[in-house]
Amino acid sequence: MIQTINLTPGVVLRHYPDHRFKTAILSVQLLRPMCREEAALNALLSSVLLRGCKNYPDMRAITARQDELYGVSVSPLLRRVGNIQTVGLFCGFLEDRFALPGEQIMAPAFELLRQLLLEPKTVEGCFDPEFVESEKRNLIADIESELNDKRSYAATQMLRHLCDGDSFAVPIRGTVEDVRAITPRSLYEHYQKILRTSPAEIFYVGSASAEETARCLMPLANALAAEPMALPEQTTLNLTAPEREFSETMDINQGKLSMGFVTPVDYWHPDYIAMQVFNAVYGAGMTSKLFMNVREKLSLCYYAGSGYYGSKGIVTVSSGIDECNYETAKAEILRQLQLTADGQITDAELSAAKSAIISGLRSVPDSPRALEGFYGTLYLCGRTDDLRERIEAVERVTAEDVARCAGTLKLHTVFFLKGEAK
Amino acid sequence: MKKTYYPRLDETLCSTVLPNGLTVLVLPKPGFTRKIAYFVTNYGSVHTAFTMDGKHYTTPAGVAHYLEHKMFDLPGRDVTEEFAALGASPNAFTSYGMTAYYFSCTDNFTPALRLLLEFVSTPYFTEESVEKERGIIAQEILMYADSADSVVVEEMNRGLYAHHPVRVPIAGTVESIQDITPQTLYDCHRAFYHPANMVLCVVGDVDPGEVAAIAEELLPRERHSVAVPDYGPAEPENAVTAVSRQEMDVAMTTFQLAFKCPAPPTGPEFARQELVAALAAEMLFGQSSQLYQWLYEDGFIDSSFGGGEEFGAGTAILTCGGDSRDPEEVRNCILNEAKYLAENGLDQAAFDRVKRSFLGIRFKNLTSFDGTCFRLVAYHMEGCDFFDFPKLFESVTIDEVRQYIADNVRPETCSLAIVDPRGKLKVDN
Repeated sequence: MIQTINLTPGVVLRHYPDHRFKTAILSVQLLRPMCREEAALNALLSSVLLRGCKNYPDMRAITARQDELYGVSVSPLLRRVGNIQTVGLFCGFLEDRFALPGEQIMAPAFELLRQLLLEPKTVEGCFDPEFVESEKRNLIADIESELNDKRSYAATQMLRHLCDGDSFAVPIRGTVEDVRAITPRSLYEHYQKILRTSPAEIFYVGSASAEETARCLMPLANALAAEPMALPEQTTLNLTAPEREFSETMDINQGKLSMGFVTPVDYWHPDYIAMQVFNAVYGAGMTSKLFMNVREKLSLCYYAGSGYYGSKGIVTVSSGIDECNYETAKAEILRQLQLTADGQITDAELSAAKSAIISGLRSVPDSPRALEGFYGTLYLCGRTDDLRERIEAVERVTAEDVARCAGTLKLHTVFFLKGEAK
Repeated sequence: MKKTYYPRLDETLCSTVLPNGLTVLVLPKPGFTRKIAYFVTNYGSVHTAFTMDGKHYTTPAGVAHYLEHKMFDLPGRDVTEEFAALGASPNAFTSYGMTAYYFSCTDNFTPALRLLLEFVSTPYFTEESVEKERGIIAQEILMYADSADSVVVEEMNRGLYAHHPVRVPIAGTVESIQDITPQTLYDCHRAFYHPANMVLCVVGDVDPGEVAAIAEELLPRERHSVAVPDYGPAEPENAVTAVSRQEMDVAMTTFQLAFKCPAPPTGPEFARQELVAALAAEMLFGQSSQLYQWLYEDGFIDSSFGGGEEFGAGTAILTCGGDSRDPEEVRNCILNEAKYLAENGLDQAAFDRVKRSFLGIRFKNLTSFDGTCFRLVAYHMEGCDFFDFPKLFESVTIDEVRQYIADNVRPETCSLAIVDPRGKLKVDN
């Protein structure tokens, strides 16, 4: 089972021993407040770090080293966990037992990671201005290309209004203007500050012992979190925005409807698990009410589904529809919610929803990535329930619990991205 | 069942061919909770024309995908709900070359497997249900039409091929699906969904003998003749259109570039040639290449850039794509670099590193049940054994890879599809 080891006062290692996999993984997350002042800097940092370090001064040299280590992967990590933003690196590597005899992978992979994080290539005491400029261009292009995925664009527009005034409205990668304002010096100063002040979470899954893992990580851990800062508390949505229904027009074939509901049931509420079951009954998966009715029965759309953001007590519904079906689809989505709140939940719906969640939870230990995803965010939310406790909690959820959860939802924001009249 | 142990992978694959011709592959995974099963027919979107029992059939584009949607109907039953009641999640996809039905579960594996075999082998289509699906699939097609990433891939295929059915999108077009009737679906099911044209592959902690026994019990006993697909006239060696360009509501210019390679062989040579092509792509424009470094540093590509080889459905290409401020310059650089490598050879140390990296990544990928199951099936359908890859890596030489670049990466084999941004979006209120 998971062992928690305090490598230094500010650096925690979560060690999950498992011998069944061919791949081991390691994530290093520096914890920051989720705020407008830092988002763009945090987003830019990992990609600049992956451009070059003292020993491997360009991407080609880094890739060559990764290739020598049997294709170890190193990717930037940027997450939002409620009011916390995490920034760092994710690393996946072949277990040592599959290397040629006498060769190691884990220890040199950790060393590569350490060098990438702690020994960046510098020019006159700052990051290499060329790295910074080109990664700024990439990040700006990334932010602008949110527009390309119309489904997530619609959801984002809706959430930015609904969450105005809360950390949840802060774009995870900042805004284009924030990125433009970054200089090699401001980024380097931010970098030094976050190495010094960010509490760090390191997560490992693989066959190495906790002692061995800790030993290999000490050179990294010793350089982090010398003066760990206090992180913001996790809080539910600070709702200040007025209710709103609005739209935008683009040259697209299929309209994208996005609806945002608020609920007092958040991550820390006793009904949190029941709300997850509600979400599955209502709109997650192919047996949900939205899928079966809005798509299957009425053929109103290609997709219709709901999502639940526990850290803020938000439920979203998104659907791809023809513009002429806007009112019909919206009415049907609300009608299905009312039916759920009225307790019209069949045994089959409830048990399918619970089975899907339980099956997902039971599958978590079968994948290193899923383990990292589950535990890597769990602790940051201040929950400690392990997988087994959570499965048991899902099993206990009743139809009344689900109906009660449905009854707490209040529609707040509706956004529609529609096609141009042709 | 035949058991083969692969010592370098530390995996044991069980396999058998049933009297009705069905191939059954089982990869036991003791100690894991999750189990997945893939039931796959060697029938994809490109198989629109075929001969069966002496009769020639021409079916509308998109029929394989339409059939995939409609297979989930059983008389008076709801397959999705039955899976859900077992805690299993079913899904399906159609590609150019195959249609796959699969589920994953942690409990109730046996009844879920029975349900999978039953619904895929039971055609049941009514006028009403086929009609109702048309709206849903039309929406799906329109959704792809709004995605620049899909549009550039479709345009690229049209630019590469003169006749081959990969020119047409997998789901067909809103027009082509209008002609699909229950009879079309019954014909295609009869032509391609019999056991001799299919593979059942299971990964997880299961009893391999039981899997084979269930398949034998539930599927038709007798062996049918196999429909013969007709891909149309032979393809010319060169691409058809060098560049296509259009505008959409996107933030940045995006592109897909491809080089047309000879149709791949079948049998063990397939896997070998695919590996040669994969190494060629990586040496030419992969992340460890000199060219990637230059293009990235000069801002012609960004982290959205990616590519590799794509083999299947009787086609082979080297392809790459992503966002770029100047896709034509990216293409020119790749062509120049290919010419340089063809004349001057590849760097041996870099080649050895890339081989080692690819080998390591293939090992790592075995951690994923889905990826492993899919590859076992896809390679089997091409007549080769996926798990033989460590041996292949030893045998591929640097000169084969250089030659592959020299033969196939040329201005004449190249097609480039570009989508540019257009006018700003308008806000209503």
